[in-house]
Amino acid sequence: MSLITEAPPMDLTEAPPITEEKSERPVESGQIPASLPAIQVKDVDFCYGDKRVLKDVTLDVPANEVVAFIGPSGCGKTTLLRCFNRMNDLVPGAEVTKGSIIIEGANISDKSIDPVELRRHVGMVFQKYNPFPRSIYDNVAYGPRTLGERRKSKLDEVVETSLRRAALWDEVKDRLNDIATGLSGGQQQRLCIARTMAVDPEIILMDEPCSALDPIATAHVEDLILSLREHYTIVIVTHNMQQATRVSDRTAFFYLGEMVEFDQTRKIFENPAHKRTMDYISGRFG
Amino acid sequence: MHSDTPHILREFDIAFDTLRNEVISMAGQARLNLERAMQGLFERDLERCKAVVADDDEVDDAELRIDRLGMETLVRFHPVASDLRLVITSMKVAANLERISDHAVNIAKRARKMLARPECPETSFLEPLYAMADEQVKDALSAYTDRDAELGASLQQRDKDLDKMHKRLVATFTSRLEEGGERAEDYLHLIFVSRSLERIGDLAENIGEDAVYLDSARDIRHEKS
Repeated sequence: MSLITEAPPMDLTEAPPITEEKSERPVESGQIPASLPAIQVKDVDFCYGDKRVLKDVTLDVPANEVVAFIGPSGCGKTTLLRCFNRMNDLVPGAEVTKGSIIIEGANISDKSIDPVELRRHVGMVFQKYNPFPRSIYDNVAYGPRTLGERRKSKLDEVVETSLRRAALWDEVKDRLNDIATGLSGGQQQRLCIARTMAVDPEIILMDEPCSALDPIATAHVEDLILSLREHYTIVIVTHNMQQATRVSDRTAFFYLGEMVEFDQTRKIFENPAHKRTMDYISGRFG
Repeated sequence: MHSDTPHILREFDIAFDTLRNEVISMAGQARLNLERAMQGLFERDLERCKAVVADDDEVDDAELRIDRLGMETLVRFHPVASDLRLVITSMKVAANLERISDHAVNIAKRARKMLARPECPETSFLEPLYAMADEQVKDALSAYTDRDAELGASLQQRDKDLDKMHKRLVATFTSRLEEGGERAEDYLHLIFVSRSLERIGDLAENIGEDAVYLDSARDIRHEKS
């Protein structure tokens, strides 16, 4: 399967710049073109030891869309997100016990899949921005270097392209050798997104990427998400429902390990089909 | 989908109850104005006509209050789904009620002019048209308060019946107007009153369409039937 056999594509400079004209995205129900889903989740159960935290979850994440996972704490949304790049492997006793998660034609729950290679295809941005205590340049170049890229000219290209895509280039181009932790919180988070993009993943997972940011930095990150969906499939976990309405094409609502409803974001927030969804999004859970 | 579960924030439920009650109260005042205008016309009662003109300010104030409450609710609570639809619909219903009351004022002013002249027997021709328009307003408001999409959607067809009756009446009054004579001015007034009742039917239809959106999130405006 391509996920584990392809050479890492490093030629980010071939990709169209995100500053060019925005793609015209259909927003009305039923207008999003059908294509092979980037992620197919089928009948997935996930357990931490004896505790079943995901129950029969089935959903397709369409390619080049932003999908938001919402739900109260402990509903399983972050667990499912972390299944997509096997981050849960690091938790003892945690595993998918039923069903399959298909990415690029492979069931990524299969132990034969190399999780390190998987994470090159499925990048992740965390709740708290976590740049390495090194230069801005080194942070972005870290991934390509780990994958074996040594050519300075190539690394320069990847760093510039990634920072441009992260809408950070103009702010840091004159201080690439400054330490990354000296940037503002919003800039550090966008740097982490640039670092994720530097290894050219197809899918980017975001676990509450704005929870530690002020409203202005949040707006920059949301604007970035909207521009990135032209090139990437993005799955975002958020507790901020306004954020879900602003940035996502589809929204999945989780409750007590079950996926209650998955639909176009506009439909979920205008006229949800399930009372539990309505009660949650309108603030009636108690 | 609508939920009757109380909101975690008590202030949220208070704000939404207040908004709904303001609309219901405004609807009562607008319907009362229409009723008094038509009674003033049919019963040649000058005091009722004057009261309609005087009380229209209350309806205008109610519209401003509802818009302000709606804006505050949007800003404070960021409602979604049926809560958001309730705020939007309430503000639109208030605008339609204000225009219904304006038409009641127009009718009252026409009635006042007719009262200064000998009684015109053809005035009673308007009674069935008024009954139909008033019934439509009443049902449109019930559709809003009860979140009844079926009743709201029924207003579209019923308004067509009202339009037909209006056209027949206008044809009658116009032909008598063309005959000339001292009643000509009365027929002109009756044509304008008929026109106001027809417009009130349109506004009731608008409220019915808003009620459909409130209940089911379907936008049936401008649908070709």
